[in-house]
Amino acid sequence: MTLRNALVLGVCLAASILESTLPFLLHLKAVRADLLLSVVLYLALNDEVVQGAALSLAAGYLADLTSATPPCLYTVLAVLTFVVVRLAGSTIKTGGGLQSAAVAFAASLIHSSLAAVLFYFIAPGSEGLVLQFVPLFWSALGTAIAAPAVFSVLRRLDAALVPAEAATLVR
Amino acid sequence: MRSLLRRYREPIFVAFLLAVPFAIFAAKARKPMGHNPFDRLVLALTAPVEKAIVIAVSGLQDGWHGYVALRGVREENLRLRRELLAGHNEASALAEMKGENDRLKRLLEYADRNSPTRYLVAEVIAVGASPHSHVLRIARGTADGVNQGAAVVAPEGVVGQIAVATAHYADVQLIMSPISAIPAVSQRTRGRSTVKGVGDVTRCKLEYALRTDDLQDGDVLLTAGGPGFFPKGLPIGRAVNVAKRPTGMFTAADVIPAVNFSRLDEVLVVLGHLPPPSSVLNASTIGAPQ
Repeated sequence: MTLRNALVLGVCLAASILESTLPFLLHLKAVRADLLLSVVLYLALNDEVVQGAALSLAAGYLADLTSATPPCLYTVLAVLTFVVVRLAGSTIKTGGGLQSAAVAFAASLIHSSLAAVLFYFIAPGSEGLVLQFVPLFWSALGTAIAAPAVFSVLRRLDAALVPAEAATLVR
Repeated sequence: MRSLLRRYREPIFVAFLLAVPFAIFAAKARKPMGHNPFDRLVLALTAPVEKAIVIAVSGLQDGWHGYVALRGVREENLRLRRELLAGHNEASALAEMKGENDRLKRLLEYADRNSPTRYLVAEVIAVGASPHSHVLRIARGTADGVNQGAAVVAPEGVVGQIAVATAHYADVQLIMSPISAIPAVSQRTRGRSTVKGVGDVTRCKLEYALRTDDLQDGDVLLTAGGPGFFPKGLPIGRAVNVAKRPTGMFTAADVIPAVNFSRLDEVLVVLGHLPPPSSVLNASTIGAPQ
C-alpha cells in the first residue's frame, strides 16, 4: 500500500469520525454532510480506476460500520457511485468550489435515492421506497457545503505527495 | 486468456468489488446484524476517538455555558426543564397508572406487572456516519450486559433498540428507522396499533389502528409491552393527522415522537426485570418501579 492510499484511508477514517460526532455535538437534524460520499466523488474524478474503486470500497465499509444497516449496503453504494461518476467523469468538471458543490449535491440526491430503494428491498413493507424529498434535499445541501472542503484536503494531499512519489520513482 | 485478463483487468476488478459486497448484502440482508472481528477492531480504534471528541467538546461547551457566559441562567433553565420533564412524566405516569389500576382491579394481575425493570445509564457518543442512518452510538456494550435487541429509552419516552453491540460500545437503531416497528397502545382509548419508522426524524407512521377505535389528534401512544419488546407504558409519541376513512379496517395517522433524538446526551438501556421483592441497586443501574 502506498503512502497516498494510507493517507486517503486516514482521511476516510477522519471523515467517518467527524460525520458521527459533529451532527451530535451541533444537534443537527437534517443538514448532515455525507463526507465519505465526497471522498468517493473525489476518487472517481481524480484517481486510477483500480485504486479508486478499492478506496471507495473502504469508504463505503466505514459508512456501513456506523449505520447499523445490513452489511455492505453502503459499500455497494460507494462502489456503484464510483463507477457511475467515473463513467460520467469526462463531462464533469470540479475545478472550482461551486462546481464540486454542484456535483456533490447531485450525487448525494442520487445516492440517497438509491439507498432508499435498496432499503425497500431489505425491509419489505417499510417506507424505504417513499422518497421524501425534503430530508434528501437537506442532506444533499449539507454534502454540497462540505464537499469543497473535502476536495481541497484531498487535492492538497495529492499535491504534497506527487513530487515525493515522483522522486521515489526516479531514485 | 492471460492477455485478455490483463486487457480487461480494470473492469474485472471493479466488477469484483461491486459483486462481492452485493452478494454479502443480498445474503445477510434479512439476518440479524453483527460485527466480525475486523469490524470490532476498526470500532475499537474509532469509537474511543469519537468518545474523546464528544467529551472534550461537551466539556468546553459546558465550561463556557456554565461558568463564563450564563452561569446562573443556564443552571436555572436546566433545573426548570428537569422539573417540567418530571412533571410531564409524572402526569403521564399517573394517567397511565390510573387506567392500569382500574383494569388491574378487574383482572387481578398485580404481581407480574409490578416487577421492577433494570435500567443501565449509557452516554451517547456519536450518531450514524451516514446522513441516512438512524443510529446512536452509546458507550456501553456486551461487557456491561447490553445485548442485541435490548430496548433503549429516555425520560421522555422510547428511543430505539440495540442493533449491534461490541464489548464496550453499541449502536441503537432509532424508532424512526424504516426497519423499526413497535407495538403501541393509545393511552386514552386503549386501542392497539403499531408505530413504524419512515426514515424521517420528525415523524413515524401509525399502522393497524382499528377504524372502530376513537383515535384522535393529540392522543398519547404508549408501548404495549410483551415479551421481547419495550417495557409497558412508556410514551412513544402523539398521534397527529388522524385520517378517518369511510371504508377499510384501519385508521391512518402520523406519530410525532416523544423524544427529540438530536438532543440526547444519555439514554437508559433496559436490561430486564428484577425478581419481585427487589431493591437491587448499584452504581450504574436504576431499578425503576413500574
